Amino acid sequence: MSWLPFAHALVARRDLPIPAWLFAWGASVVLIVSFFALSAAWRTPRLERSSWRPLGPRLSRALLGPPTQVLCGAAGVSLLGVAIYAGLRGTEAPDRNFALTFLFVTCWLGFPFLSALLGDVFRPFNPWRALGRAAGAGFAAIAGQPALHLRYPRRLGRWPAAIGLLAVVWLEVVYGGSGGVAVGLSPEPVAVAALLYSGYTLAMMALFGVEAWCENGEVFSVYFGMFSRLGWLEARDGRLGRRRPLAASTRWATVPGSIAVVVASISSTSFDGGQEGAFKGAIESATGWLEGLGFGALTATRLADTAFMVLCFAGIALVYLLGVRGMRTVRRAPSFAKLRDGFAHTLIPIALGYLVAHYFSLFVFQEQAQFTYLLSDPLGTAHTDLFGTASSGIDFKLLSENAIWYVQVGALVVGHVLGLTLAHDRALAYWPDYREATRSQYWMLAVMVAFTCFGLYLLSAGNG
Amino acid sequence: MPCASLLPLAHLGHWLWVFYVLPVLIVVLGILWSTIAARRRERGEAGESDDGG
Repeated sequence: MSWLPFAHALVARRDLPIPAWLFAWGASVVLIVSFFALSAAWRTPRLERSSWRPLGPRLSRALLGPPTQVLCGAAGVSLLGVAIYAGLRGTEAPDRNFALTFLFVTCWLGFPFLSALLGDVFRPFNPWRALGRAAGAGFAAIAGQPALHLRYPRRLGRWPAAIGLLAVVWLEVVYGGSGGVAVGLSPEPVAVAALLYSGYTLAMMALFGVEAWCENGEVFSVYFGMFSRLGWLEARDGRLGRRRPLAASTRWATVPGSIAVVVASISSTSFDGGQEGAFKGAIESATGWLEGLGFGALTATRLADTAFMVLCFAGIALVYLLGVRGMRTVRRAPSFAKLRDGFAHTLIPIALGYLVAHYFSLFVFQEQAQFTYLLSDPLGTAHTDLFGTASSGIDFKLLSENAIWYVQVGALVVGHVLGLTLAHDRALAYWPDYREATRSQYWMLAVMVAFTCFGLYLLSAGNG
Repeated sequence: MPCASLLPLAHLGHWLWVFYVLPVLIVVLGILWSTIAARRRERGEAGESDDGG
């Protein structure tokens, strides 16, 4: 199983026309040129105003009506059930079991990609929301009144989701990565974790209400919802409408803890990318040091990995906050807190760029497995062939090594240029004089160049 | 003594990260230089207006 790049999708490159580090220089030049182009051509904020326009009522009814919602919810619940059952009863071989690929590749990577294009596509399929709403409707039918809930504490904001996001990644890349299994987690702990998470989520929904918890605390709703703010479709009051891409992200970070969610996303991807590459030597040294202190090998590995994951989080947050601090030096700057929260959404396209860069090839390869042998034989027992595709395999020649590298570089550059665009637009809203707005964005340019070069370094070190 | 024994070329790969840090340093230095120049200019303009008043 060691051939399966489950932890992160990095492959060796051998025949690039120029050294990998020159791509970082090229990407930096692209960012600088984009920055000056924005300064010259974009002098009023364009993304701050709501640009939502409803689509035809028939389309809205078809896509958002109760039958569709029930169908989508039932599909979500059923697939979660299949994944949990496969994890508990299926083979221990991670690459042959439906659970791991479905949860950690198809959903964990598929929903961000799809959401960034279309909008919040996870919402109708969210199995916990469907279960919570069904339970609420059942309660109302029996009790004759809707269930009462506690008011969600505003100060708590999205912090539960940020912590949950780190916990999910920790489970995959620290607990699983150091568990002695080459591809990470074995299916059973994933199924148990999914059951525990389901219990926790349903309890929180009972306490605070389904929608309040999905808005703030439900890890997957918040995480996928963050990327959906880049997409062009949005439902309002039962009507589907289109909006300007990126525009909805400007209103995303108004809830406490939002910065932690987006930083957790970038840092967890960075850690996953660096764990076997750029950080490998340092993690091994830390592990050896911890073993010297008397910890067992497995505990020492997990502690060292956890420490590096936290360091990644702190490092990414620090670079962003330094950029915000730099903006404060410009005349007529708003308060530090306003700048910190006001520019957090500019990191969303960067998080998406990191995600695409690190996992694009894994997604392409594993989805071949998902829609062939894993669908035909979800338990991986070799006794079932539901769709006649159980004997199919993954075509690893589908993507060349260079094609993967160019997609990685392209994703990082596009993500950061979009981040710069969002930051520039927000600066124009905060500084009435566009020259001061531009000057404030020098610092965000530095942040974007730093994240781009860091991302490319992680990829090149992982690939090398 | 052959050059290869003097130059630690085998460990060159360990220093590749420097090439990734350089663009960041160049941008940060550019920003600092521009900020200092802008401050000096503003101070000069403020001084001139004080003299004129």
